[in-house]
Amino acid sequence: MTEPEVKPEVMRISWGPQHPMSGQTRILIDVDGEVVRRIIADIGFTHRGIEKILEKRTFIQGIVPIERMVMADTANIALGYVQAVEEALGIEVPERAKWIRSLICEMGRINSHLYAFGLQVECTGYFPAVFLWTTVDREVLLDLFEKLTGARWSYSFFIPGGVRADLPEGFRDEVKRAVKYLRRRFQDYWDAMVENPLFEMRNRGVGILSREDAIRLGATGPVLRGSGVDMDVRRDEPYAAYGDLDFKVITEKEGDCLARLKVRFHEIEQSLNIMEQIADEIPGGPVRTKVPLFPRSKPGVEALSRVETARGELGVHIFTDGGMKPYRVKINSPTLRNMYVFERLAELDKVLVADLPVILYSIDPWYLDCDR
Amino acid sequence: MAERFAAPIYGVIDYLLTWARKFSIWPVHFVTGCCSPEFMQVSGSRFDMERLGVLPFASVRQCDCLMVVGVISRKMGERVKYLYEQMGEPKFVVSVGACPTGRGPFYDSYATVAIDDLVPVDVYIPGCPPRPEAIIHGLMLLQEKIRRECGFRAGKE
Amino acid sequence: MPARSEEELVEELKREHPELLVEAVIHRSKRVSIVAKREKILELARLLRDKYGFTHPVSAGAVDYIKEGRMQMIYYLMNPESRFMLMLRVDLPRDNPRMPSMTQVWEAMSFHEREAWEMFGIDFEGHPNLTHLLLPPDWRGGYPLRKDFKGEGVTP
Repeated sequence: MTEPEVKPEVMRISWGPQHPMSGQTRILIDVDGEVVRRIIADIGFTHRGIEKILEKRTFIQGIVPIERMVMADTANIALGYVQAVEEALGIEVPERAKWIRSLICEMGRINSHLYAFGLQVECTGYFPAVFLWTTVDREVLLDLFEKLTGARWSYSFFIPGGVRADLPEGFRDEVKRAVKYLRRRFQDYWDAMVENPLFEMRNRGVGILSREDAIRLGATGPVLRGSGVDMDVRRDEPYAAYGDLDFKVITEKEGDCLARLKVRFHEIEQSLNIMEQIADEIPGGPVRTKVPLFPRSKPGVEALSRVETARGELGVHIFTDGGMKPYRVKINSPTLRNMYVFERLAELDKVLVADLPVILYSIDPWYLDCDR
Repeated sequence: MAERFAAPIYGVIDYLLTWARKFSIWPVHFVTGCCSPEFMQVSGSRFDMERLGVLPFASVRQCDCLMVVGVISRKMGERVKYLYEQMGEPKFVVSVGACPTGRGPFYDSYATVAIDDLVPVDVYIPGCPPRPEAIIHGLMLLQEKIRRECGFRAGKE
Repeated sequence: MPARSEEELVEELKREHPELLVEAVIHRSKRVSIVAKREKILELARLLRDKYGFTHPVSAGAVDYIKEGRMQMIYYLMNPESRFMLMLRVDLPRDNPRMPSMTQVWEAMSFHEREAWEMFGIDFEGHPNLTHLLLPPDWRGGYPLRKDFKGEGVTP
């Protein structure tokens, strides 16, 4: 991108892409003393052209590249794509497969929120211990993933027509044991983060995003719900098994970094409840319907599927032309929307340089998702 | 005469030097793509990279290892080259994952480049993402390489 | 004002503003698609935002229909009350894809329009900062998401 002009009293700092806290992006900051006047996000450092690649792959091959969008949350991303393919091709999914999908999606959501916790604590700068806790607790989930799907992160487990395999023996008990362990751990996290006065000082009242601005700027996910907007695709437009499951949509009114963190905390509680419900009540039956290896589409069909990923709403819009490959896949990524909110935050609220990493990680950016 | 005594002394110095060097690999905090969560798991307490002396560090000028974790896009490619040039000798490059090694699942994309076009690589770790054991094995291979090649008399025999 | 359902919105738009629309259809529940006339798109967008409450921009992107010689720009919009997805479409000729920028109505469409500009070469009139978003600033390889884009691994 070309850089706009600088005002003389303002200094421009380039932050990233090689910086422990910036991630794979470059953020240009105009600072006036300690106050940030303007944020310019220079994204695109991880652009791989996934939308173009998907046009070159058959419907089933496309699962692999699209999963690499968000590694910590591959289940939700893959579900968005697989659901769109199912809608476009008219494939039915058995009930048990839907429940297994919801189970893995919730596990993925916890996995991803743990990442957000770890980085938000890390960038407040004083206790990397919590960051290391998250890596340990994530192993619990990763072991479950590995047992079920054979891979730790990118499992390509959802396919059009269901899931690849049934739950292994004793898996439901293991899920319950993991839920019990994680409940106890999240109490520790709550004590170490939200109840900790130091952490609270760095997060309360920082980066405030009002309800109106959140709607106007197109925020999504925990950022939107942290500003008091009650929107969640899982409830508004139930997919997978969410219509039959009992959960609450969490909102917080304050709209600051702590509110976004609290939303994630309570969402994890809800996810754990959902996991327990699924382990108890999952119906029997087959887990996949027979789908040809190279399914052929009808010309001129389009299907938009929306799923709630850990970062917010993901939309996958598939256009077909009658071939074995999609004509075009448009991905509405959640982080791209939240990055725009981040760019505008310096104008909405007084932002100090020291608060900038906290604000950036409170929106939980995943640049690979942003850049696609 | 002097050379006859010098050789074993050089050997001892070499041993100590490479031993110290191989247990203080400092990779730079630089993530280019999506293998980063697995890399984080390796630095966590279950797999614990630090027992091999691998400690991720912030500034590239204090580091001696560039771990290229994940896919390199065209825009990131020039940064990889730039960072490599800033590092002091001796420097090592580890390519983690299928994407930098051979462009992986994005092999026909217009926006990715392979690492071989950018910087010389010491160890390739395949996998998408590689398992933690694979990453640790890769680091041990790098240690072996340091042991063999980075001594005082490397290349003189 | 209570939020309109999908059917009410389509009915009302067809009844009161037929001059702005080409067509308005409901794909399935919670998916409404409106095709706007290119010269009237700004007017329709303001109407949707102010009167019908579509204040929450979601995304935007384009599709290249090379055989028909047109491109379609799609804006995904939402009303925080009624919560169905509205797709506001506009057809553009493929040889000269120009349209007014929707950032004048929904500020947050800025990133999405920049993306459509670099990926499809659609020119948005009135966009404040139409520069490269995802591709490198010195990109010379053409418009990657167009169907006639050949360069796989083009060196810029």
